[in-house]
Amino acid sequence: MRDFVVPKTDTKVKGEVTLDYAFQLQAHYDPPVAHASPKGTFRYQDITSGELRGEHFNATVYPDSGGQYDTVRGDRIRDVDAHFILKADNGEWVYMEHVGYRRTDGYYRAIAYVEADTKGAYDWLNNTTFVVTAKESPDERQVTFYYYTAN
Amino acid sequence: MNEPISRRALLTAVASAGVGASLAGVTRSVEAEETAHSSREPVSYFGAPDAQVPKVGLRWAFSATVFFADRIMINSPTPRGYTSVGGGEIWGPRLQGRVLPHSGADYFKTTFNTYYCFQASDGAIIFIHNRGTMRRFETPEPAHVRFRATPVFTAPSGPHEWMNRTVFVAHCQRQSNPDHTVFTYYEVL
Repeated sequence: MRDFVVPKTDTKVKGEVTLDYAFQLQAHYDPPVAHASPKGTFRYQDITSGELRGEHFNATVYPDSGGQYDTVRGDRIRDVDAHFILKADNGEWVYMEHVGYRRTDGYYRAIAYVEADTKGAYDWLNNTTFVVTAKESPDERQVTFYYYTAN
Repeated sequence: MNEPISRRALLTAVASAGVGASLAGVTRSVEAEETAHSSREPVSYFGAPDAQVPKVGLRWAFSATVFFADRIMINSPTPRGYTSVGGGEIWGPRLQGRVLPHSGADYFKTTFNTYYCFQASDGAIIFIHNRGTMRRFETPEPAHVRFRATPVFTAPSGPHEWMNRTVFVAHCQRQSNPDHTVFTYYEVL
């Protein structure tokens, strides 16, 4: 392995991040289907419907457009991997991806990556980082996701 | 160490007293783990006008200065960029160390998508997969770029394993002469 000499810089500055609440999604799921795998317990949940409400974005979940493809690890924490499609109130399509962790202590946080039409009304969703916190019902079939933009 | 007694120090003390084996069967809860490694950094909480919306907290975890080396473009169907990582430093409240020299690169398409390694001051190798967004705002003047990163870490079991169950968001600041980026990593609480 080649070594690297770190140059001296005067750029050890602390950058700030602020979160601004953007919208929330009430999502509805089929019961999880789970099976053991070498990586842990793979857990699939179909997203059957959902309603997204916010000041600048309103949409519905395109039924059965995906869902949760999570893995429950050996330490019982769920690696969250979600993909689905939304239809905005003006008819435009939007792709949504979640990557995060759902822990046994109630912590359910994720990053959402959103893709929309660059020439459409929701281009502002592209190249915006969203921080998500979620509340899950005890039967894990009703989840409300709250999205904040990381500014 | 800031902590009066960490879990690691406790385990070391118990192990050296010859009773470490009795602890092996004890179930460790995530909450206890978080307390053992908790940080004294202040938490900034963000909420919404509607009090029903749960607040989200951010706490500075550490920072990384990353120096880049080669820049290559491959004209594949959707062009693939390659920007190699030379090395760098990691500093801050919850992690110190260096960027493992020449341990990876940004293999970007439209947005950055970086794979490389940190080496903590205790020698642990921590893998980082970092995705990010960059957006240019022309107004208000002066125009500015909002550059944010969202890493997923793979850390070994032990003192750094909290990184395997924590969501992070980072502020990124590009610098020139020499070409490097300063990442400020926040734990999402």
